[in-house]
Amino acid sequence: MSRFSSLPQRCGHLVIVLFGITLVTFFLLRLLPGNPAVAILGTSYTPARAAAIDNTLGLNRPIWSQYGLFLGHLFQGNLGFSFFYGQPATTVIVQHIAPTVFLVIYSAVLAALISFPIGFAAGLRRGGVIDQSSRILFTVSFAMPGFWLGIILLLVFSVHLHAFPISGFGGGFAQHLYYLFLPALTIALGFSTVLVRSLRAATIATLQAEFVDTARMKGIRWRRVLRRHVFRNAILAVVAVFGVNLAYLISGTVLVENVFSLPGLGSLLVNSVADRDYPVVQGVTLLFAVLIVAINLLADIVQAALDPRVGQEAGA
Amino acid sequence: MIRRNRSRILGAALAALAVAAAGCGSSGSAGANGSSAATVNTLVIANAVKVDTLDPEANSVNESIWLDQNLYSRLLQPNATGTGLLPDLAQSWAISRDGLTYTFHLRTDAKFSNGSPVTAADVVYSIDRSRKFAGGWGFLLTAVKTVAATSAHTVVVTLSQPHTPLLADLAMYAYSVVPEKLVKAQGAAFFQHPVGSGPFMITSFKADSEVDLARNPHFYGTKPKVQKVRYLIVPNDNTRVLMLESKKADIIENPPGNLITQIDKTPGLSVQLFPSTRVDFIELDEHFAPFKKALVRQALNYAIDRKALVKLAYQGHATPGASFMPYKMQYYDSSLSPYPYNPAKAKQLLTQAGYPHGFSTFLITVSGDVAGQAEAVVLKSELAAVGINVSIQSYELTTAYSKEDGGHSQMGERYWTNDIIDPDEVATFGADCTGGANAFASYWCDKQVIQAVAAARSERSAAKRQQLYSQIQQAVYQQSPFVVLDYSPYRYGVGGWVHGFHVSPLGSYDLSLENLTVSAH
Repeated sequence: MSRFSSLPQRCGHLVIVLFGITLVTFFLLRLLPGNPAVAILGTSYTPARAAAIDNTLGLNRPIWSQYGLFLGHLFQGNLGFSFFYGQPATTVIVQHIAPTVFLVIYSAVLAALISFPIGFAAGLRRGGVIDQSSRILFTVSFAMPGFWLGIILLLVFSVHLHAFPISGFGGGFAQHLYYLFLPALTIALGFSTVLVRSLRAATIATLQAEFVDTARMKGIRWRRVLRRHVFRNAILAVVAVFGVNLAYLISGTVLVENVFSLPGLGSLLVNSVADRDYPVVQGVTLLFAVLIVAINLLADIVQAALDPRVGQEAGA
Repeated sequence: MIRRNRSRILGAALAALAVAAAGCGSSGSAGANGSSAATVNTLVIANAVKVDTLDPEANSVNESIWLDQNLYSRLLQPNATGTGLLPDLAQSWAISRDGLTYTFHLRTDAKFSNGSPVTAADVVYSIDRSRKFAGGWGFLLTAVKTVAATSAHTVVVTLSQPHTPLLADLAMYAYSVVPEKLVKAQGAAFFQHPVGSGPFMITSFKADSEVDLARNPHFYGTKPKVQKVRYLIVPNDNTRVLMLESKKADIIENPPGNLITQIDKTPGLSVQLFPSTRVDFIELDEHFAPFKKALVRQALNYAIDRKALVKLAYQGHATPGASFMPYKMQYYDSSLSPYPYNPAKAKQLLTQAGYPHGFSTFLITVSGDVAGQAEAVVLKSELAAVGINVSIQSYELTTAYSKEDGGHSQMGERYWTNDIIDPDEVATFGADCTGGANAFASYWCDKQVIQAVAAARSERSAAKRQQLYSQIQQAVYQQSPFVVLDYSPYRYGVGGWVHGFHVSPLGSYDLSLENLTVSAH
């Protein structure tokens, strides 16, 4: 019971955070020079044509009344009408959500598949071959920016080996797995560095713990000690890291989506900022905020589920 | 013991990766086979920017305009060299002696892609709709009093005063013909799956990732040789080049300048340059005191080495500029030649203007515009040589334009492209401060030039128009309210298996898509 006692409080925080985010995105966007009319008209801008557009979009109203309208609509689940797409912003966001969510989950799974075995192995044999080589490999891949690593992967696997497509999302689950492999790998390689390093450190720390010695003295087989005691405890330390970094990972999709021409939320956000498509930018920002807060919350819950001690200090 | 465990864990990791890779590989080969079988009849074009809309009255992004012209027809259309007009829906037309009544005779076999006939009522509806659209192109047609259908195949346009660019205006994308009934019934939803009478029709439309076209079975002209055209939206420059190199795209737009040599060296690929109506210039804002003086503006012209600029920023693929009107368009004054590079003369003019030690200013550039950034660096060093200290300010596109249009900038990198073949548009935007665009945001006003722009608009004699436009070009050249730098061409990376791709100076290539073929590759 006490393990999850902080949950309602955290949910309360969520609401405050989200309200803050509506304020920040709404007013920051409007502080940006340029407006939708400038973006729409481009080189054929004249003040008269711009005024006509402002009038149609309701941008000539006082800013407070625009904000009030936005908040009011938000409570009804209405993010407003996209200037660019001519559709409700909610519809536009839903159309772009699949590639990003797929990419984030895929990258997280790939990162776990890559880093858990390697990090654990590196921790078990400090200074060994795996430890040394993974240290070099992941430091290098971490230092490579996503857009560059993506291009290199494309050059090798798509242009020369013809093994993977260059762009797009594909249709159906199997195709998504295939089309998104390189983008997911690009993100996963960067993400893995953090995971490998922290899992290695956690494994080393756990191996030195007294309960491991106790378990061994009790005559429990080493493999069982590793699985039940060392691995489980080491993973625990990584869950929090995983959660926090997953949030960064979402923002990382923005660049990767550009390189691989994925029609996801990242590209949508960048395009919409350039277009000054306020309702879409506000919607995507809010969604990202919700995702980040939710992932952090989820990481706490998972940690609490894995470790009975979490939350007890607060409960006591 | 530890050793054994480690190898097990490693083994598990490798197995997991292998499974992932194998799963990807197997589903992948199916996808690859499926797409390569169809490409002979399908042309794949990779564009850098998404489609803004398929509604011709509201288009403003060039790539979308060029796409739209494959879907819709107009009364007339510009020819492939952008120097004259061809019939489209109108088979013939007559102009009354006073120049106030234009009668268009429509062809009788034109049909929309859904099989319904194109009527004079559709034409009238479409023109009226576009010219009344807020923020649209109606300001070009202020001389138009009425547009009326006098029979099922006759459209009559009456003017309140002579307006010679009318035919060129009506050949503009904004006056594309749409089916009245469907647009009225469906509203904005119509343009998600529009119906037009052009050579192609939309089969699938995702504005920011992929647009698929197929031949319009009811098209009245010659059927295009390719059956399908697929547009992919690939914003990343390098990715577009990789797509061409791996033959996933047949044509890519705007390959980055630094990769042109690499593409040309790749067997079977080439970068093709097409003369355009693009004019690159530096906007000078007269709200900044030094730029009020013509002497200073002229000094800037002498201080810039256009040949070096073209070489450094455009890898030599541009022409140094003289007139503010697009290179070799109708009524282009070829007697003008680019200002010579003469820093000594520039210094002398600055001294004469009261700035013997130069001044400090800033130049607004668009971030991400690689050629523009190179251009800015060259300008900065050249202007520094005559004592003008320029700081470069990079902004994202919308911010940059907004700052430049608002009259709070000092210098800004800008460019112009024509939408019609008549010089009226560029003259109104670039030389007439009452024309709405403040003479390319320079806020430079010259009464004689303003009068000449209006006179050329209503003048019907070609010889007299040439005279007026020469007068305007010479005044702008001499006064230089902005610094014309160069005329840069359209750049496309094209696979050797594509035969007959051609881009008109207006940027459209719909005529070439009607004849182009794609061989197996």
